[in-house]
Amino acid sequence: MERLHSRLGLFSALPMLVVLGLCFLAPLVVVAAFSVMPRKVFDLAHLPDFSAYLVFFQQGYYKPLFWSLGMALVSTVILFVVCWPLAFGMAKVFRRFTLVLTVAVVVSLFVSENIRLFGWVLTLMKGGLIEGHWRAFTGEGFESPLYKVPIIIFGLVYVYFPFMLFPLAQGIAMVPDDARQAASDLGASKWQILREIDLPLAAPGIVVGSLLSFVLAAGALAESKLLGGQTVIVIADSVETAFTYGQDWPLGSALSMVLILIIGAMAIFGISRVDLDAIIGRKR
Amino acid sequence: MHLTRRKFNKTLAGVAGLGALGPMGRAYAARDNEMNILCWEGYNSDEVLGPFRDGNPGASVRAESGTSDPDMINKLRAGEVNVWDLINVNQPWAREQLYPEGLIKPLDKDRFMPYFEQMLPGFSDPYPLAFADDGELIGMPQRYGPFSFVVNTDKISQDMAEDQGWNLFLDAAMSDRYGVLTYDNWNIMHMCLTAGLNPFEEIAGDGLDKFRGVADQIFGGARLLTDDLVAMNTALINGEIDAYFTGGTYTASPARYDGATNVRGITPRSGPVDGKGGVVWIELTSAVNNPDPSKLAEDFLEYVQGPDVCKAVAFAEGTYNPVSQMANPDVMSKFDSEELDAIQWDTLEEEMSRSLDYQVVTSYQTLNEIYNAAKRG
Repeated sequence: MERLHSRLGLFSALPMLVVLGLCFLAPLVVVAAFSVMPRKVFDLAHLPDFSAYLVFFQQGYYKPLFWSLGMALVSTVILFVVCWPLAFGMAKVFRRFTLVLTVAVVVSLFVSENIRLFGWVLTLMKGGLIEGHWRAFTGEGFESPLYKVPIIIFGLVYVYFPFMLFPLAQGIAMVPDDARQAASDLGASKWQILREIDLPLAAPGIVVGSLLSFVLAAGALAESKLLGGQTVIVIADSVETAFTYGQDWPLGSALSMVLILIIGAMAIFGISRVDLDAIIGRKR
Repeated sequence: MHLTRRKFNKTLAGVAGLGALGPMGRAYAARDNEMNILCWEGYNSDEVLGPFRDGNPGASVRAESGTSDPDMINKLRAGEVNVWDLINVNQPWAREQLYPEGLIKPLDKDRFMPYFEQMLPGFSDPYPLAFADDGELIGMPQRYGPFSFVVNTDKISQDMAEDQGWNLFLDAAMSDRYGVLTYDNWNIMHMCLTAGLNPFEEIAGDGLDKFRGVADQIFGGARLLTDDLVAMNTALINGEIDAYFTGGTYTASPARYDGATNVRGITPRSGPVDGKGGVVWIELTSAVNNPDPSKLAEDFLEYVQGPDVCKAVAFAEGTYNPVSQMANPDVMSKFDSEELDAIQWDTLEEEMSRSLDYQVVTSYQTLNEIYNAAKRG
C-alpha cells in the first residue's frame, strides 16, 4: 500500500515533470551540448572537443565573470543593508502603511527596466535633470556620475530592490514577537536580539532574497550598458557578443555554462542551508 | 475557490494542449496568403506595409525588425527559414554567409534587373555585391549610407575632422572626449583603417600588433561605450562627448532631423585602402530559402521600388537614410530640403566616392578576439 501511494504521487506529478522538462531543462541541455562543440558551428552534429572552454581561460573571459560576480556580490550586500530596516518596518511596524509601500514598489515593476534605467541616464547625465538645473541656477557645471563602476552598482541596487525587499519582509514576518520579547526580558541587548533571534529565524527570507538579487545581478546586462557605458564588460555582454557579432555559438554557450554552473552551485548550497518550506508556508 | 491538485493538473494539461495546437494550426495555412519579412527597422512601418496589405487583401503580411545583422541571421540558422520569406541585411552577410549556407535563394533576374537602371551611379552598373560568385542575383539594394564616425561640428569643424580622419581618435587631446558605438563588426573594420591596415585582406604578425595598439588606445580613451545610437547622440548634443567612433548618416540623421544639425557624419578624405578611409553600408533584401515559399515575397520586393514606398522606407521611424532609387526624379521629388539635409545629401556623393564597400573582414575571428579583449580592458 505504501509503495502504491508513492507511485501515485509520481504519476500525478508526471504532467508537471514533463512540462518542467520541456520548458526548463531542454533549453539548458541544448546550451550545454553547444558548449562542447568545436568553435563556430551552428548545429550539434559534430564531435565534441571542448575548445570553447579553453578559450574562456586563454582569452581572459574570467575578467567579465569577475566583474559580474563582484558587482552582484557588492550590490547584494548593499541591498541587504538597505532593505533590512525597511523590511523590518513592513513586517512588524508599519501595519497598513505596508500595503502602500508594497504597491509603490510593485508599481515600479510595471515599467520596463530599460526605460527606468534610461530615465536615470536622463536624470544624471551632463545637462540632464540634475546637472542641467544646477548649472542654470549656479552657472557652474559638474561631471556626471555616469559611465563608472559605482553607478552600475547603483543601477543593480535600484532594479533588484523588490527582489530583496519582499522575501526579506516575508522572512522577518516569520520571527515570532514572543521570541524577541523573551530575549529582551532575559536581558539581551538590541544587537544580541538582532544577531541571535532576528537573523537566524529570518534566514530563509535572507537566503531567498540574497539568492534572487545575486543571481539576477550576476546575469544583468542593461545596467552596465545604459548607466555604465560598458566601462566594464559583464559576462552577459560577452555571451551576447559571442552569439551575435562573434557568430560563435559554442563560445557563447560555454560562457553561459560557466555562469550557470557557478550560480547553480551557489543556489543549491544556499537553499540546502535553510528550510524553504517554512517560507512557502507548507505546514509540517 | 478551493484549488485541488486534480483541478490544478487538469487546467495545466488543458493549457499545454492548447499551446501544442497553436503551431499545428499554422502548418495548414496556405503560404500564398501570408508573407513574413525579417528586416532592419523601416520596412516594418505602416507607411511601407499598409498599401501592400491593401493591395493584397486577405493576405497576412508581417514584418519584424531585428537589432543587428547577426541577430537576424541567427534566427534563420536556428531553423526559422520556414517562417520568413524575405530578409534585409547589410551587403556582405548575404554574399558571404546566407547564400553559401543555402539560407537565401537567387532572385528572378528577368524581373529585377531592369530596376537597377533607375538607380544612382554606383548601383546602376549594376551593384556588384548584389550578385553571388556564381553570378546569381541574391538581393536588391535600397537603403545605404556612409558609415565612419560622427562629430559635433560646434566643437570639431567638419573640415578638420575630414582632414584628420581616423587619427582624430588617436590624438591625446581627444582622450575621454569621445564615445564608442559598439557596433562591433563596424568597429573592427574602422580600427583596421585607423591602424592603416586594409580590413579586407588578411592581417597577421605586425598588423595584429598595430590593430591591438589601436584597439587598446581607442577603448582606453573612450568616455562611454553603448550600442544605443540615441544615447550616443544625446551624449554628443549635451556635451558629454565631442565625437563618436563608428557612425554615419544612419546614426546622425535622427538628431539632424530633430534640429541638431551640428551632429554630422564624417567620411575621412584619405585612408589606407586605395586612398579611401570611409566605409559604406548597403542593405540587400533577399528571398529566404523557405521550403514552402510565398509568392508575395518577390511581389513585395518589386513593390518597394515604387517612389512613394522608396520615400517611406528612407524616412521610416528611427533613422533616416538615402535610397539607391533617388536617381529617379519621381523618387527625388518626394524629399524636401530639411529631409535632404538630415541625410547630408549635399556631401553624400562625395562621401560615397571616399568610401569602401562594407565587406567581410578577412581576419575577423582573430581581430574579433583582440577587439573583445581590448573592450574588456
